[in-house]
Amino acid sequence: MRAKAGAFTIALIIGMLFMAWGPVSAQEDVVEIVFWHMEQPPHRVERIQQLIDEFNEAHPNIHVSQEPQNWAEIYAKAPAAVAAGNAPDLLFAIPDFTPIIRQVGAVQPVDDFVAEMDEAHGFFPSAVEPYTYDGHVWAVPLWNMAHSLWYHVDMFEEAGIEPPETWDEWLAAVEALTDEEAGVYGIGLPANRHLYTDQTVYDFMINAGAFELYNEDGTLRFDNPDTVEALDFYSQLYQYSPPDSPNWTWGEAEACFVSRTCAMILQFTVIKSYEDQGEGDPENLGVIPIPHAADLEESGTIAYPNAVMLLTDDPDKQEAAYEWLRFLLEPENYGRFLNMEPGLFLPVTEDGSEAESYWSDPLVVEYEAQIRVMLENSQNGMLFGFTGGNIFPSIAQISAQNLLAQTLQRVVIDGEAPADAVAWGQEQMIEAIEAAEE
Amino acid sequence: MTGVNFYRVRRTLGVWIPVIVLMFVVIAPFYWIFTGSIKAPQEIIQRVPTLFPQSFTLQHYDKLFSSSDFPQYLLNSTIVAALTMIVTLLLATPAAYSLYRLRFPGRDLIFKVILVTYAFPGILLLIPLYTMLTHIHLVDTLWALVIINVTFASPFAVWLMEAFFKAVPHELEEAAALDGADRATILARVMLPLIAPGLGSIAIYAFITSWTEYMFASVVIISDVNRTVPVGLAGIIGQYQVDWGLLLAGATITTLPVLMLFALVGRHFVEGLTAGAVK
Repeated sequence: MRAKAGAFTIALIIGMLFMAWGPVSAQEDVVEIVFWHMEQPPHRVERIQQLIDEFNEAHPNIHVSQEPQNWAEIYAKAPAAVAAGNAPDLLFAIPDFTPIIRQVGAVQPVDDFVAEMDEAHGFFPSAVEPYTYDGHVWAVPLWNMAHSLWYHVDMFEEAGIEPPETWDEWLAAVEALTDEEAGVYGIGLPANRHLYTDQTVYDFMINAGAFELYNEDGTLRFDNPDTVEALDFYSQLYQYSPPDSPNWTWGEAEACFVSRTCAMILQFTVIKSYEDQGEGDPENLGVIPIPHAADLEESGTIAYPNAVMLLTDDPDKQEAAYEWLRFLLEPENYGRFLNMEPGLFLPVTEDGSEAESYWSDPLVVEYEAQIRVMLENSQNGMLFGFTGGNIFPSIAQISAQNLLAQTLQRVVIDGEAPADAVAWGQEQMIEAIEAAEE
Repeated sequence: MTGVNFYRVRRTLGVWIPVIVLMFVVIAPFYWIFTGSIKAPQEIIQRVPTLFPQSFTLQHYDKLFSSSDFPQYLLNSTIVAALTMIVTLLLATPAAYSLYRLRFPGRDLIFKVILVTYAFPGILLLIPLYTMLTHIHLVDTLWALVIINVTFASPFAVWLMEAFFKAVPHELEEAAALDGADRATILARVMLPLIAPGLGSIAIYAFITSWTEYMFASVVIISDVNRTVPVGLAGIIGQYQVDWGLLLAGATITTLPVLMLFALVGRHFVEGLTAGAVK
C-alpha cells in the first residue's frame, strides 16, 4: 500500500513538473514585463490588476505582472536587486529616488517616449521637470500629489472666521479655533524625524519664499532669512498643535483631523478617511491653498510627481513596457488607474485631468469641488532639490536623513533659536553630501 | 490589627501590587489592540478614546481576510517559522552537545566564533546575502528566509543549551556507553529527554525570531505570494492613509500564534531562560 502511495506521489510530482514546463514552452514568444510599484494597499493592487488583465488580454504577445513593494524598504531593496541582476523592468519612482537608482546604472532614458506622450496627452511641465536632468528624461510621470490645507467648514463658521490666505490670518484662525479644554486644536503639525515633517517644513519654506535649497552653482542656500522666517512661523503655529504631534506621520495627522480634534492639517488628501472613518459630509470639508507670508503674492505647496522608471535595456521589453504605459495613459484607462485611491492621485496630463474616467468615480463625484482645488494647488507644486530647472541629485542624501525635520525639531522641541537651527541644518547637509561623495 | 496580620497584609500587598502593575503593563496593549479591532472606524479615532467598546463590528477582520492577501502572509509566516524552528532544533542540539559534552581541538574557538556570529549586526549582511541568494536562485523563496532565520537563531540557541547539557551528569552518558550506545543514541535516548525544557526554549525562540523578522523578509521577498506577516501587514495598512481598523485586526491575528505557542510550551521557555541562573 505504502509503495503504491509512494509511486503515485512521484508520478504526481513528475506530472506537475511537466504541467509547469508546458505553459512556459508554449509562451516563449510572449514578452514578460515585471513592474514594481509601491501601492501596496489591497484595493490599489486590485485596481492595477484589473488594468493589467485588460491589457494582457488585448496584447497576447505581452504579459505584464505587478509586484507590489513598500516605500519603507525599496531604497535598499531596489539597488540590491539591480546589483544582483534581478531588477524589474519597470520601477515606480519619486524624484529623489531616481538618482539613487541611476547611481547603480540601471535607469534608461525615456526622452522619446515622454515626448510622444506629451504630444498625445499633454504632460504638465511641473511633472516632467523633476525627472529632467543631465540631458535626459529619466522617468515617465504618472500622477501628482500635493499638499493642501484641509479644514472643518463648520468650525470656521462657528468661530466667525474666514479661511486664511496669509500667515497672519492663519495664526489668528489657529488661535481662535484652539480650545484645549474641549480637546480641540487649531492645527495639527508634525515634528517627527520623518518624511511627513520634511514635507510640512518645506510647505512653510515655499510660502516664505525659501523654496530653493541650492544656489545655481550647486552650493546650499538653506541658511537664509526666509528659511529662518519659515521655521519661526512654524514654531508659532506648533504651540497650538496636539501634544502627541511630535510622533506623527501622515496617518496620525489624518486621524486627528477626521476625529475633529484638529481643525486644520496639511495633507495630500483626507477624502477617503473622512468619508470612511469621519463625518463624510462633503459640504463640511474645506480645502484651500496653504497660506503664505505677507510679502508673497501667491501660495505654493510641496508636490510629488510620481513616475515610472524603465530599467530594462532589452529593446523588445522596452517596447512592450512602452505599450503598457501607453495603455495606462489613455484617458479611458488613466482615470481608473488614478482612482485606485480616489482623491489622492492627481492627473499629470491635460487630457487626463478632463477624462470622464477620472471624474466619474463615485467618490470623486462626491468630492469634486475639493479635488478641483487640489488639482489647482498642485499646479503651484514644487519639491526641494528639484526647483528652478536645476536638479541636484545630492538632495537624496538630505532627504535620507530627514534634515529638514531634524532642523525643525531643534526649534520646536529643543527650543533653539530658528537662526541657529537653520545654520546647524545647513552644516549637516554639507556634511551629508560630503560623506556621500567620499 | 495585630503585628502578625499587618505583616501578612503588607507582604501580600508587596507581592500583588507589583504583579498587578506588571500584568497591566503587559496586558493593556493587547487589550487596546484587540478592543480597537472590534470597534467601528469612527470610534477607533474619536477624540476621547473609549476604554470599553461602544460599538461592535467584525468588518476589519472581514476586510483583512477577504480583501487582502493576509491569509497567504499568515500561511507563509507559519511555514517559515515552523521550518526555522525545526531546522534550528536539528542543528543547534547536536552542535551544543558536541560543544559542551565532547572534547576536540578548536572547541573553544568554534564556540567563540558562534557567539561572534550572534553579535554580528544583520544589516551589514543584507546586500551580500541578497547577492548570494540570487546566485543560488533562492531570492523570493521561503527557503531563503528559513536559511537566514536559522543563521541568526542558531548561535543563541547553541549558547542557551549550555546550562542544560552541563546539568546532565556525565555518569549517565558513561552508563549508556557501557551498554553499547553510540554518540547518536546517547544524544537521542539519554540527553534529549533530560533537556526537554531547553529544546522548548530554543523552539520558541526560533519561532518568534522568525515570526517577527522584518528586515530580511522585506528585501529578500519580492512577490506578494511569498510575503510574510510583518512585511505584508506593513504594506496593506497604507502609507498616507492608514486604515486603523485593518491595522488593529492584523496586529491581533499576528499575535495569536505566538500566544498559542507560549500557552503550549511557554513554561519550558521560562525554565530555559532561568536554567543555570542559580548554582
